[in-house]
Amino acid sequence: MAEVTLYHWEPNANSGKPMLALMEKGVPFDSHYIDMLNFDQHRPEYLAINPQGTIPAMTHGDKVLVESTAIMEYVNECFEGPDLMPADARDRWRVRWWMKFMDQWLAPSFSMIGWSVFIGPVVRQRDPAELEAAIERIPMPERRVSWRKAIYGTFSEAEIAESQRRVAMGIAMLEKELGKREWLGSDSYSLADINGFNLAYAIPLSQPELSNDELTPNLLRWLRAIYARKAVKDCWALGRTDMVKRVTILEQERI
Amino acid sequence: MATILYHGEPNGPSLAVLAAMAETGADTALDIECHAMDLLGGKRHTLPGVTKPLARDMGVEGEGPVLVIDGEAMTESVFLAQFFDEVGDGTSLQPDDAYAHWEMMMWCRQITERLSPAASLLGNLATSHQRLEALSEDAFAAQVEPIVSADLKVRWDLVRDGEADDAQLKDCEAKVMQAVERCEKQLADGREWLMGALTIADFETFAWLVGMESIVPEAFKGKSETQAWMKRVKARPSVQAALARATSEAPERSWAPGPEINRWG
Repeated sequence: MAEVTLYHWEPNANSGKPMLALMEKGVPFDSHYIDMLNFDQHRPEYLAINPQGTIPAMTHGDKVLVESTAIMEYVNECFEGPDLMPADARDRWRVRWWMKFMDQWLAPSFSMIGWSVFIGPVVRQRDPAELEAAIERIPMPERRVSWRKAIYGTFSEAEIAESQRRVAMGIAMLEKELGKREWLGSDSYSLADINGFNLAYAIPLSQPELSNDELTPNLLRWLRAIYARKAVKDCWALGRTDMVKRVTILEQERI
Repeated sequence: MATILYHGEPNGPSLAVLAAMAETGADTALDIECHAMDLLGGKRHTLPGVTKPLARDMGVEGEGPVLVIDGEAMTESVFLAQFFDEVGDGTSLQPDDAYAHWEMMMWCRQITERLSPAASLLGNLATSHQRLEALSEDAFAAQVEPIVSADLKVRWDLVRDGEADDAQLKDCEAKVMQAVERCEKQLADGREWLMGALTIADFETFAWLVGMESIVPEAFKGKSETQAWMKRVKARPSVQAALARATSEAPERSWAPGPEINRWG
């Protein structure tokens, strides 16, 4: 049994970040798939591992770690393998800045649109009583509020419009930044690229009017360069749903 | 080109960064010039010599300090403290052990994601609203005009309007109380500093809590460990040096629009 166990959903967004970081470092781990849309993360067996009921979570020996970006930083510091943070302190600052910007400003907007358009309508086809029971099992009150919004799609028009504004602006910002350097925030492949790929890999499919080879050549170059990595292929092979197959759009020569 | 730290009154993120700078010796290592700026006067958005303004314009933290190196604006108090720590004189404010480092970063995230938005809203409504409300429509519009981030502009509007619903204010107070409770629990084993050894978490937490003592006093009632820890942090020469830069009598009552409240509720 591997010393590391990762509890994750699809190689996508937050779950994909530590999955890919572990694979890039060459750290063997037991993969424990949590079906987020079946609310496995709020079941007692998982709450015994992570009482907050959030995914991903990682155990390393007797230690339990949560929060995807923080787990990635731990993985990079704790294990041998290629360094996924740049050597220069200012580059490291930039990598951290971009990760926070994506985690807190950009990703929640992608997530709101994703839930509103794709995931929410599918989940709402379930038995209402079963959904209500699933929400009641969520341990943190504020997470219950978030999940209610996500499941029942109660975002206001203004909230969705604000998310769309941020997505468009975020794409433009990424394009500009990736025009300056080969990788996001530094000249070496880093945790910011792993973070960003998990957020952005489906952009050319979901936002074709905002991101394509003509409009965002640097973003596309960067996504394809990351997609070409063996660790990414191995990581995305762990996906079980059609959602993560969106990544294959990056195999197209022209988007 | 000089390296300049533009900072507000020593409170919140400006206090955390000034203290971390002095504690690590980064001011000497990087030959940093410190320039005070009037955050609530909007001066952060018209700083000279900023050729790469992205992090200044789009930082999650809002109106925090800006370190300018080679024209690049660097922001976010925790990351600036880490940067100082990594270029400083060897006084480490980050644990070497990967797990202890994770714990410190998780602590700081609790502060910046939960306490800071709450403290910022309460602090601004209590202390900044009047000054912004006194501005004419035109003067206020001119002041916020250079702000690039539309959502930061909204937070300026909110402080000027001074309107927040009761549920939101109660939630903010609850977040402050939770932060103090976390400190009290963490310090219960008699440790001197939050993580055991002195770290960035002490400065970040103190800097966002100290202004809450007068605004949410009930949060600190009976929290003797936290109160004693706050005294210890305040007594650090680095914090004293930061506080000595104040231009007002009560820097802990100096606020400018900060991070937003989580949009997902």
